[in-house]
Amino acid sequence: MTLLEVNDLTVSFYTEEGVVTAVDDLSYRIESGETFGVVGESGAGKSVTALSLMRLIEEPGRIESGEILFRGEDILKMSESEVRSVRGNEIAMIFQDAQTALNPVYSVGEQISEAIRHHLGYDDDAARDRTVQLLDRVGIPDAESRYGDYPHEFSGGMQQRAVIAMALSCDPALLIADEPTTALDVTTEAKILDQIQDLADEFDTAVQLITHDLGVVAKICERVMVMYAGRPVEKASVEDLYYDPKHPYTVGLMSSIPRIGDERDRLQTIPGTMPDLVDVPPGCAFHPRCPYAEECCARKRPPLVDPETGDASTAADDRAAACLEYTGDLENGLDFEVTVEGEDPLVEEEQDAR
Amino acid sequence: MRRIYESDALERDDDAFTPRRREETPKPAAMRSVPGESLSRYLVPAWLAHRAIRVAVETPQSSYPTGTTVPVTVTLRNAFPFPVSVRTRTPRLWTWHVDGAPEASRVPESLPEEERVFTFDRGERKEFRRRWTGLFKVSETEWEPAEPGEYTLGAYVDVDDAAGKGLAAETTVRIEPE
Repeated sequence: MTLLEVNDLTVSFYTEEGVVTAVDDLSYRIESGETFGVVGESGAGKSVTALSLMRLIEEPGRIESGEILFRGEDILKMSESEVRSVRGNEIAMIFQDAQTALNPVYSVGEQISEAIRHHLGYDDDAARDRTVQLLDRVGIPDAESRYGDYPHEFSGGMQQRAVIAMALSCDPALLIADEPTTALDVTTEAKILDQIQDLADEFDTAVQLITHDLGVVAKICERVMVMYAGRPVEKASVEDLYYDPKHPYTVGLMSSIPRIGDERDRLQTIPGTMPDLVDVPPGCAFHPRCPYAEECCARKRPPLVDPETGDASTAADDRAAACLEYTGDLENGLDFEVTVEGEDPLVEEEQDAR
Repeated sequence: MRRIYESDALERDDDAFTPRRREETPKPAAMRSVPGESLSRYLVPAWLAHRAIRVAVETPQSSYPTGTTVPVTVTLRNAFPFPVSVRTRTPRLWTWHVDGAPEASRVPESLPEEERVFTFDRGERKEFRRRWTGLFKVSETEWEPAEPGEYTLGAYVDVDDAAGKGLAAETTVRIEPE
């Protein structure tokens, strides 16, 4: 069942520098209980997309158009009180920087139990008990005595866990995790990702995971959307994205991952940087960095299409890419090849399971 | 604690480089600044604020071959020694254009009808850089190259009759055939 459907979402920020279209004509959907990854470089519009879902875009930003259907109801048309009942309750968010997300003048336990009291109507004692359980569940040692600690008394990893506990406190149907592990070291990252995955399985929560780490996506996501300069450039299942990427940007991202045993002298990178969103290149925004770009790439914006048929993609389609190759406009085509080395990880996983 | 200013260590030679003595009776911190922006919004009339702002548009060269990107520098400067605020008709505070096409786009714009205030500190200079790729946006998904010829590159603060109020500037650039 489709839990969330985003159609033609456009978000702009009216800054002094100019009008920044942070999210441009974005459509996607998330099914109940699935883990959906949103990948892209910094400034691709990933976090703005997430904040739009919770209607947390502030001045000078505004949601220009589109609809966000959560269980069939448009969040953008809800009243402020209706959104408040959804926010934190049905849709919860794990913010990027836990230290900033936590209020320094309230104890961690109090901040979590406030949400429980507000949304679930628990009394003080019941909310406290549930908070202690949650803190324990996310791996805070000695949760009972840490309930009254302030955020500065927690380590970075513990703060992140506290924010996860807060997000899970009301059993949300959708959990938006905005780079939940960026500020953490790899061992803590692995633990927290496992926890998010376990908790999502346990509570049957759908997760929208925003990250720029493709390793994280491979580990826990089922479907992925790659964003570039505020627009989706590729949507695929995680297997298709890794074994059969269709967009040159995705290919660039893949080839820039360092691998153990790699014989290359230098790591392959994507030349250049993400364009300034007040001055996005015409046509395909990726064309100045694309090794396969032709003249038409600067003159025509590629629509998101099914790479096999070239038909326009909708929010319901699982496989789509935005490159003129798939609309038949590129003369020389895309000249890349994907080789899979080593054992098939899926086969390995099955063996592990056995 | 004795401070270096109060010792004789700095009194030895070159007077020109000797730090000034601290004033004995410093002003209270609250007096050092006034909310200039808000005050100017109420005290400076719009016509005067409009006269304060100088707009300039520059390109490094006056002609470019077809297919090259034209760098455009837009400078907005408050010539007055006090802060001024200009009320704009849309949230887009200013824009640039090529032959009247905002941001080189011939697609009709849809901007929210909501006034905003564009503030400038005293003597503040705001510089913005844009690039005209030599293309015009002709639909949501298509761009067309500009024919060789002379084009007017301009910028204006988003107020009614910006040119009449002195809040616009223009320059010309020639696109030469290859």
